[in-house]
This record gives sequence, C-alpha cells and structure tokens, in this order.
Amino acid sequence: MTDRNASAVSVERLMHEIADDLRGERRERALARGGPAEYRDPEIFAAVEGVLRRAVESRDLDASLIPALLEDEEDSRLQTHLRFSSHRPLTGPVIIFIKRRILLPVMRWLYEYSLENFRRQQQVNRILFACLEELAIENARLQRLVKEQSGPR
Amino acid sequence: MKLACVIHRFGADIAGGSEGHCRGVAERLAEHHDITILTTCARNHITWQNEYPAGLSKVGPVPVRRFPVVRTRSLHQFAEISELVFSGAASEPEQERWFRENGPETPGLLEFLERHGAEYDWILFWSFRYYETFFGLPLVADRAVLVPTAEEDPLIRGAGILGRFFTLPAGFLFLTPEEQALVAVRSPRPLAPSCVIGSGLEPARPGSAAFPAGLEIPTPFVLYLGRVDPNKGCETLFRHFLRHQPTAKRSVSLVMAGPANMPIPDHPSVRCLGFVGEAVREALLSNASLLIVPSRYESLSIVLLEAWNHGVPALVNGRCSVLKGQAIRANGALYYENFDEFARGLGYLLDHPDLARQLGQQGLAYVNSEYRWPQVMQKLELFLGSLSHPGHRR
Repeated sequence: MTDRNASAVSVERLMHEIADDLRGERRERALARGGPAEYRDPEIFAAVEGVLRRAVESRDLDASLIPALLEDEEDSRLQTHLRFSSHRPLTGPVIIFIKRRILLPVMRWLYEYSLENFRRQQQVNRILFACLEELAIENARLQRLVKEQSGPR
Repeated sequence: MKLACVIHRFGADIAGGSEGHCRGVAERLAEHHDITILTTCARNHITWQNEYPAGLSKVGPVPVRRFPVVRTRSLHQFAEISELVFSGAASEPEQERWFRENGPETPGLLEFLERHGAEYDWILFWSFRYYETFFGLPLVADRAVLVPTAEEDPLIRGAGILGRFFTLPAGFLFLTPEEQALVAVRSPRPLAPSCVIGSGLEPARPGSAAFPAGLEIPTPFVLYLGRVDPNKGCETLFRHFLRHQPTAKRSVSLVMAGPANMPIPDHPSVRCLGFVGEAVREALLSNASLLIVPSRYESLSIVLLEAWNHGVPALVNGRCSVLKGQAIRANGALYYENFDEFARGLGYLLDHPDLARQLGQQGLAYVNSEYRWPQVMQKLELFLGSLSHPGHRR
C-alpha cells in the first residue's frame, strides 16, 4: 500500500490509500445488500460519497441555509432545555417552585433519557439539512455548467 | 517583568491539561521574572470545594495566592443552563449565568485584580470557560494575555457572548493553529497579536518500560490514557473496538488507564486500570502497540505528544480538527472518522509493525523539534517582548 523504502511515511498519503480501499469495500457491500444499481459504476459511487461526505464532515452544521428561510428559525430546533415560567402573577412563583423543586427531581430520569434521544434527533436533522444544501449547491453548479456549455442562444 | 497567571485551580497534585500547562509555563517563567499565581482554594474540578488554605503559599518555585470559592457547583443547575446555552438559544444574561454556574466563583480574586491588576506588566489567563477568566479578564483587559484552550465544543458554538469576549485581550497564546483559527472565526474583529506556543515535554526517561511487580498487562495491547468518560469519546471507542473484535485478524487488548466516569463493558479484551501512577503510566506508554485518542474536543492532545515522546504511533479521532492536524503535521498517527476507518486503521497499524514504528519515530522527531520546553519558552518570551506594553500605549 505504501513505499516502504521511502525515508518518511506520509500520513496523508496513507489515509488516501485507506479511504480508496474502504470506498471500494463500501460500494461492494452496498451492492450486495441491494443498493442502487448506479453504484455499479465506481465513479458514480465516489461522486455520491463525495457529496455526502462534504455535508457530513466539512460543513459547519450551524450555518445551514434552510433554518434561515423558515418563518421562525426556532421552529427548526428541538427544544431540549427546560424553561420554567408562568403568566400568573400571584400563583406563578408557587407553580414554578413546585415544578422545579418537586416535579423535576421526580421526573429527572425521564428527562435525561429523552434528552439524549432529542440530541441525536437534532444532530440527524442538522446533517439532513446540510446534505440537502450540499445537493442544492451541486445542482446549481451543474445548471451553470450546462448553461455555459450550451452557449448563447 | 512582573507577571501574574490566573487559573481556576493550581497544585503539584493537579493533573488537568490547562492546569498542567499553566504550571509548566509558570515554573519556567519564574526563572527570569517576578511571577505570582492567582487561583482558588479548590482542588476538585467537579464540586470546587475549598481544600487548599486561602492566602499566600508556594508550589515549587512559584508563589501562589489563593482565594476561597464562595459556593460549590450545583450539578443539576449547571446541566440545565448548559442545555440552554449549548442549544444556541440562550440570552446574554443566561450565557453569563453559565459562566457563573461553571465556577469556581471567587469574587475575592476579581477584587484583587481590580485593586492590584495595574501593578503587573502582563496577566496571563488560562481557559476562557472558567469564572476567573471570563469575569476577571475584562477588569485588566489592557494587560491581559489569554490562553483560551478552546475546543470545537458546544459552548463555543452556542455562547455568542464569547465573540465580544475574544476582542478584549491584549494578546493570545494558542496551543495549536486549529485553536487559533477557531477563536479567530468566533471573534467579530481581527484578533489581537497572537502566537502558537504549544506545550513542552521533557524527554522520556530511559529504562521506564518495566511494569511494577504484580501488575499483569496482556500483550499486545492498545492504550487509552486519560479520564474514561463519554465526553472524551470513550463510549464510541468501546462500541468500535468491540464491534471490530469478532472480525479482527489478530488478538489485541484495549487497556484503559484513567479514572472511570462511565460503565466499562465486561469483555475479556477490555482492561480498565483506573487511575495509574507515573511509573505505570510510563511503562504503559513504553509497551503499547499504539495509543488511541477518541476525543472530539481537544485544544491540544498532550497525551498524543506523550505517546510520540515514547516513539509510539497513534490512532486518533479525525473529526477533531486539532487531532487530525497534529497527526498530519507530525506524520505520526492515522485518523478515523467512522467505524470502517477505525477498524482499518487499527488493523493496519497492528499488521505493519515496521511502518507503525516509523510513524512513532516521526512523531518523536516532531516532538523534539516543536514541543520541548526551551522552544516553547523562547516563543513565549519573544511574544511577550513584542507586545506593546499598556503603560506605553496611547
């Protein structure tokens, strides 16, 4: 896999070789499990993996465009934290006290169990947003390329 | 120069990364400068309980002035405010509350900075996430040099208030170029002058390879060194390692050396030693086939440098840009970003011992050229000398 006689081993080169090998194995696994027939073409598979990898590994998941296009960005976020509040001026503080000091300690196990799953769902959502955006970017690039190649009408 | 170092806890028996870095730097600065450590009476980084006596004392060659912590940390309140801040939805007062809840809350130290800060030429602050630095640095910003020890963690993403904070110091000392880039991106203005100094290591002691009598370690073994904690990536490490076991070409054990904050899988290939002393640590590093660093959040992995210091190669989490950067710059470690890469990287290093040894030697050469104390201190002294002193600024 690498030139043993070279005086220095390059980690980047080694990692490229490992990544290429693994890509081939992943493609074979996907086909064996009944994955899309397009994956018979190694170039197509590499291109698909490249787009998805860019979304998962290289993008800042906090900088997605989709939440900014929603009416209220907050709607796209799972609210994992607890906020105790009440609109009742007199009984409100008592209700908050009961929620915080009695109900929350009793229910904490359930809160913590749900929290981990909410976190995972939030992460999946963020990755899906990034994948969609990466595909939209790829599409925009291709559209521009097609337009340039078809020339002025 | 008259210097002060501000740190959340300090002591010869405290092993944390930023605390160790501060001690290493301070002890060497004390050889040429008038230096004082300003810190708390806390030893435990979870509770912040006062354990050291308040007032002046000495740790090695360094004078230390300690201030009492006014309250221990409420873990539930801290968890609640963390969830809010990390979600990115917290208001500025809520973000400030996070730093108060994180502690260790020592108003006496802030009063001291207000009264006596101007007596120092430079005040070095370690770790922006703690009370002393977050609330203390703004009081003496014109002479403050920040060692952020920043990681790509949910705090730096979620606390927008940090942008303004990063515009305050007169200078920055970073541990890696990745940390420098991370802080620069979060700051709304170009950063104050900065320097990547890294951290120093003493050369590994020869003859430290034998395990103490009575301690039997299965060989070959791969080593994890540090706190065994989900936040350090240990949950994923266990999952990857145990998933890899049935198909692995050769038998290898995973040895975990560090206090455990999570359940350890009951498996014959996993051995957890708990906290280990210096002699065992040295022997483990000398005998390991490779070191695994699974953490996603690092500002500099000292343990990776220690492995290279012993000529041991490593397999690191490539999703942490600092670890990936260190691996590539040193040509001393492979990295993984998913299970397939973990299994292949582990198998590759075990199946190619010559190549693994060469990676370890390249790591050692990198440590020799970049991470010895004389080089680190030379960079630091040059940097402090180049900063425009607050008394001379217009």
